[in-house]
Parts: sequence; C-alpha cells; structure tokens
Amino acid sequence: MSKEANPRPKPATQASRKQWPIPKRRLSWFFADHQRAVSETFKFVSLKLGSSLFVWLLVGIALALPAALRLAQLNFVALDDGWQGRPGLSVYFQVAADSSDIVEVENLLQQNSSTIEVRLTDADQALREFMAASADSESLTTALSTLSANPLPASLQVSVNNQVTVDQLAALRLQLLQKAAVDDVVIEFTWLERLRSLTQLIERLGWILGCLFALGAVLVTAASVRLAIDGRLEELRVLSLVGATRAQIRRPFVYFGVFYGLGGAIVAAMLLAITLSAIETPLTALLGSYDLPVQVRGFDLPFLGSLLLMGLVLGVMGALLAVKQRIRGAQEAIY
Amino acid sequence: MSAITFDRVTKRFDNGQEALSEVSAEFDSGSMTFLTGHSGAGKSTFLRLLIGVDVATRGRIYVDGVDIGKLGTRRMPWYRREVGVVFQDHHLLPEHTVFDNVALPLRINHLSEREVTSRVRGALGRVELLGKEHLMPTQLSTGEQQRVGIARAVVGKPKILLADEPTGNLDPQLARSIMKLFSQFNELGTTVIIASHDIGLIESMQMPTVYLLEGRMTQVGETSDV
Ligand SMILES: Nc1ncnc2c1ncn2[C@@H]1O[C@H](COP(=O)(O)OP(=O)(O)OP(=O)(O)O)[C@@H](O)[C@H]1O
Ligand SMILES: [Mg+2]
Repeated sequence: MSKEANPRPKPATQASRKQWPIPKRRLSWFFADHQRAVSETFKFVSLKLGSSLFVWLLVGIALALPAALRLAQLNFVALDDGWQGRPGLSVYFQVAADSSDIVEVENLLQQNSSTIEVRLTDADQALREFMAASADSESLTTALSTLSANPLPASLQVSVNNQVTVDQLAALRLQLLQKAAVDDVVIEFTWLERLRSLTQLIERLGWILGCLFALGAVLVTAASVRLAIDGRLEELRVLSLVGATRAQIRRPFVYFGVFYGLGGAIVAAMLLAITLSAIETPLTALLGSYDLPVQVRGFDLPFLGSLLLMGLVLGVMGALLAVKQRIRGAQEAIY
Repeated sequence: MSAITFDRVTKRFDNGQEALSEVSAEFDSGSMTFLTGHSGAGKSTFLRLLIGVDVATRGRIYVDGVDIGKLGTRRMPWYRREVGVVFQDHHLLPEHTVFDNVALPLRINHLSEREVTSRVRGALGRVELLGKEHLMPTQLSTGEQQRVGIARAVVGKPKILLADEPTGNLDPQLARSIMKLFSQFNELGTTVIIASHDIGLIESMQMPTVYLLEGRMTQVGETSDV
C-alpha cells in the first residue's frame, strides 16, 4: 500500500548492504559467455558477409604496408651480410716495392683487430690476372709480353668487419700511406655506405609508417565495430536492462575485433605473397647483376605468426576503443 | 517481494526541466500499484530512476533498504536481474526468435539450457504463447509481441515488475487480460508498479494508485476512492 509523504527510509543495514552483491565468477560462466559471444559473432558476420569482407580488406591493406617494409628491411640487412665484397681497402704498392716491405704491411694489417682477411696479389699474379682479363685484346697482351719488367704493382685486398666506420677506415688509410712502399690506398665503401643508409632509412621509415598504419588498422577496426554496434544498439539496451554486466555486453564486440584483426592479417599475408611472387623475376635480375643473394628472406612462419598476432592485438584494441566510445552512450539511451 | 521507498526524489534534466519534484512514496513488498498522470507528468522518469537508468538529482530511492543511487555500475546489473521491465514498445530483438528473446535474461544469468527451456516454456505458457516459440517477433500480432515482452520480464522470477504503458496500443479487452496477468504475478509475491494514463482501465482494476501532476505527487489512494 502506498502512503503519503515523508516515509522513513529503512536504514542501510549490514544485511541490506549485501543485497545484490557481485557474485564470484565461475569458470563455467566464463566459457558459456564466450561460447555465446563466438556464436553471436558468426551469426552477425554471416548476415553481413559483404561488409565483413570489406573490413578484412581494409585492415589487410593497413597491415600489409608495414609488414612489407619490415620484409624489405630484413632483406636489406641480409644483403648487407651476404655481400661478397665486404667493406675494405685495396693497398697498392710502389712497382719497385721490396717484398719484405710488403710483408711488413701485410703483417701490420693482419694484426689489426678489425680486418677479416688480407689477401696479397703480387706483381706476377696481377700481371697474369690482367692478361687473362684482357685476353680479347691481342695487341695489349703482345705489348705487355714484350715489356722486360712487370709494370703492375703488388697489392693487398683487405676486408674489414661491419663495425668499422668510415672514419676508422680513413685513419687506417692515412697510416698506411705513410709507409714508403705504399703507393696508394683505396677505400671501397661507397656501395656499402649507400646500402647501409638505405637500410637505416627503410628501418626508420618502417617504424614510422608501421606506427601510422597500425593506428590506421586500429581506427578501421574501431569504425567497423562501431558500425556493428550501431546495428545492435537495441540489443545493447535490452541486454543492459535485463542485467548483463559490462563485460557481457562488450564481449561479442571484442570478438568482432578478433575476427576483423585476424582476417585482416590473413589478407595482408596474401597480399604480401602475391606481391613477392610478382616482383620475384625483376628482383632476381637486378640482384643477380650485383652478384647478390636472390632468395627473399623473412617471409616465413615466425613472420606470419607475428603478423597474425599483430592483427589480433590491433583488432582487439580497435574493438575496445569502439566499445568504450559507444556503450556509454547506448546505456544512457536505454529506454 | 521487495519494498520500494522514494524519499523526496527530484529529477531535473540538463535543460532545466524538472520531471519529478520532491516525490516521496512507499511501495510495500508484494504490493501492486498504478502510477498515473497526464502525458509528461513524470511517470516514465519515475520508472527510469527505479531501474537505475537515470539518477535522481536530489533525494534517495531505496529498494529493500539499499540506496539505488549508490549501487555503482558494477553492482547495478545484479540489481537489474531482480527487476523485470515491460515497455510500451516491447523492445524485442527482431533477429531472434520468440524463444531466444524470452531466454535472454536467463542466459545472461548462466542458467543451464535445460532450465532455460523449462522456464521459457513456463513463461510463454502463462502469456498463452506456447507453440509460437520459434516464430520471429515480426510474425506476431501487437498483442502477442507485448505478451512476449511480459514473458521476458517475468521469466527470471524478478522481485519487482515494472511496466510503462504496457497496454498503450492494445484493444481494451486485451488490455484487461494483460492487467490480469500482472495481478497474477503480483499474487505470486512480486512487487508490481504499472505506469499508465488509461484512467478507465485503472479504475476498473481497483488498485492503489499514485497520481503525478507535473512531477508532483498529488494523490495516493485506491482508484475507487476518487
Ligand atoms: N532526457 C530528457 N531531457 C529533458 N527533459 C526530459 C527528458 N526526459 C523527459 N523529459 C521531460 O520530463 C517530463 C516528464 O517526462 P516523462 O517521460 O517522465 O513523462 P510521462 O509521464 O512518462 O509521459 P507519457 O505519458 O507521455 O509517457 C516531460 O516534460 C519531458 O519533456
Ligand atoms: Mg512515459
């Protein structure tokens, strides 16, 4: 029976504060909720197959670009390692240089910790190589053979390890030039330096673009999940009214995120595979001409695994973002 | 089976509109009460506050001695599981069958599928819709849809049953049969509050009634007294 005016509110007793407590979660609830969420996701996606595929493509493209950069970076590093003509020096001796002077310089270089290999080409060998290289030109070979003395100098080909900087190489060069027997020292680093700065460029670009595209993937997924939520606002309201917890309401949408993220990663992997097979022939031709390893590296299981993981994480992030934005509004609009 | 107390509750919206002003009322556990008044009197606002969808600007609402305004977002769902709500436009989910619509609160509450089935069938039996479980809401008449909404509201055996214009667009005969359903649930011990501006219907029910006029409580009493 309803009574007029100033009812005495019952004081919140100890017992009443225990009214509608949050119960301990049970594992079976967890599984039941997830099972429901998964089947909901499949139901929704199969109803909206077209737009789901569209989202996959969008997320896939957003993921494929940084993944491609990462692959390029991996391969440039591989090139760097695999390059036969490592960074190094060529030391040319005076034509008249004494063999003991040559050995002295050779020993000096071999003691240097940054040298990997020192290879001596003595004057005779140089002449033979020169003759072999210019075998086509008969006049040149006859001219050379008529000379009484070998006009070619001995030389050392020195390769140094990758940690040696250009400055260190230049210092080494100056040190060698001070030897009387040494005529000239040529540093061979140009191509390598270019490759290194290119690798560095690609690495930095990879990071920046990677972050941008990852953000793009998050936003695309968020937008798609938001669309999905908008299509189900009514359901959200009803769920909220019959006492669904925030997690229960959120869960199906997080699964959308997982679904879109994983799908996007699969599309990205396919895009990469197609691209790689398309560029394989021209790339082989190009790299082959530089005597470089042609095999594209890095497109392997760990790479695909991390691509999938990345897609998953980004998808879930996007979904949580969208849910956070939308659910509050939806709950306020309930009934 | 819950006592409800409104203690000088005021609800003022952001635009300055005061939908409820200093409303105090008490609803005994197991009672059934009508809430009436003109359009815009504040009936829906009253129910919204009670469900915790909106918060009072001033004053307190107690259910079984607990201040609803202090439940917080984490406890609120567990309170709502004990409150059944029936809307004027039933709010059924169009992509789910009648069965799934009614089962929703039970599944949220993690009942076993066997229990879900028996309870849903029980609730649909009460509203005389057995045999229509597998239809979609759009395949039902308005009155049937409204009854599905009622089945969903009561399937979880709530302690409180709230209804906002449950008979708004139904013919008088159907309206009376739905009112009878509510009093049946009330007889089982549920505290029932029904907002309606259908004075004729309310009078025919001979039930305690709270009158609202522009957000103020003007009268409390049996309709037959007026
Ligand atoms: N969100 C809101 N913002 C501002 N004013 C609101 C809001 N909701 C309701 N009102 C106002 O509060 C008053 C009470 O509204 P309420 O919906 O409670 O009335 P009611 O008694 O349910 O009317 P009806 O019988 O037409 O359903 C109205 O004047 C309405 O314009
Ligand atoms: Mg209303």
